[in-house]
Amino acid sequence: MPEATFRIHRYDPERDGDRRWQEFTVPYENSLTVLEGLFYIQENLDGSISFRYCCRAAVCGSCAMYINGRYRLACQTNVKNLEDAPITVEPLPRMPLVKDLVCDMTDFFAKYEYIKPYIMHESQYPEKETLQSPEDRHKLDNPVDCILCGSCYSSCPSVWGEDNYLGPAALLWAYRFEADTRDEARKARLSSFDNERGVYRCHTITNCVEACPKELNPTEAIQWLKGAAVRRRIFGRWK
Amino acid sequence: MRQEVLRKGEGGVWPWFLQRITAVLLLYGLTVHLVVLHVLNIGRLTFDNIGDRLGSGFFIFTDFLLLFAVVFHGLNGVRMVLLDYGFAGSKRTALDAALVVIGVAAIAYGIWAFWPWLTD
Repeated sequence: MPEATFRIHRYDPERDGDRRWQEFTVPYENSLTVLEGLFYIQENLDGSISFRYCCRAAVCGSCAMYINGRYRLACQTNVKNLEDAPITVEPLPRMPLVKDLVCDMTDFFAKYEYIKPYIMHESQYPEKETLQSPEDRHKLDNPVDCILCGSCYSSCPSVWGEDNYLGPAALLWAYRFEADTRDEARKARLSSFDNERGVYRCHTITNCVEACPKELNPTEAIQWLKGAAVRRRIFGRWK
Repeated sequence: MRQEVLRKGEGGVWPWFLQRITAVLLLYGLTVHLVVLHVLNIGRLTFDNIGDRLGSGFFIFTDFLLLFAVVFHGLNGVRMVLLDYGFAGSKRTALDAALVVIGVAAIAYGIWAFWPWLTD
């Protein structure tokens, strides 16, 4: 059975507090993913290793890591497809660390919550469902695939420089609801992203586009929001 | 992260929008400059010829448009860059004030330079 060497970032604030690398050898067959390799290490070689996971199907976004120099979901990264050896597994760069491969996502989710990620109604909620044409629904095909893994947020230089910048993921979700014909948030959401800690902090560096494991385009969404803010704030056109 | 912290980032649509508008004006000015000086090549390069050209309504309009566009575009660009380096709170207020002073001084200087052709 072939073997793969995993070179894993270790950090334990309660023990040494230093960051270090540790290598493990993992036997694998054709279908082994990086996440399964981490399970093998945890179960057989070192039970103290920490990492996040949940769905194992690239849907929940918990296992986003920096694997062999790229943002990837550990659960959908097949070991045999990784060209470089050893397989280097790091937590999301420039995120506050909790332990080993686990990042502190508190700010990330606070910013997501801040943009009010839900459909809002100014009028009374209708008794039946609000209808939407297939064409209008297609506009949302891209952003609804975001799984909030944090890869784009971790890769964005504007986030590195400004703690309070909302970041690409929250703004992609703002776009997802602003572009939705059923949404009537108007100023209630506009003021959360139309400011210098929102869309205007994006300088179209497009690291987020490269980083996204779901191949989404937060940069384009942010540019749409900039245009929408001008249309709404300056020209008074709300939809 | 407290939501109040995120609420502090106010404003931004006008600087962003005017940066785009002034960029278009700069393109207009560049086009006029290239067409007049390099394609049409109006007149010989003498003081009188250039004086006549500067005194025409079209060039006074274009040059003033450019003066305002260049000063705004340049200083607003500097502001955008500096805001990425942690200018917040009172530092940001001081930065805005300094840029306004520099802008007003630059525009006043530009008007002073045009003055002889405006009053002729």
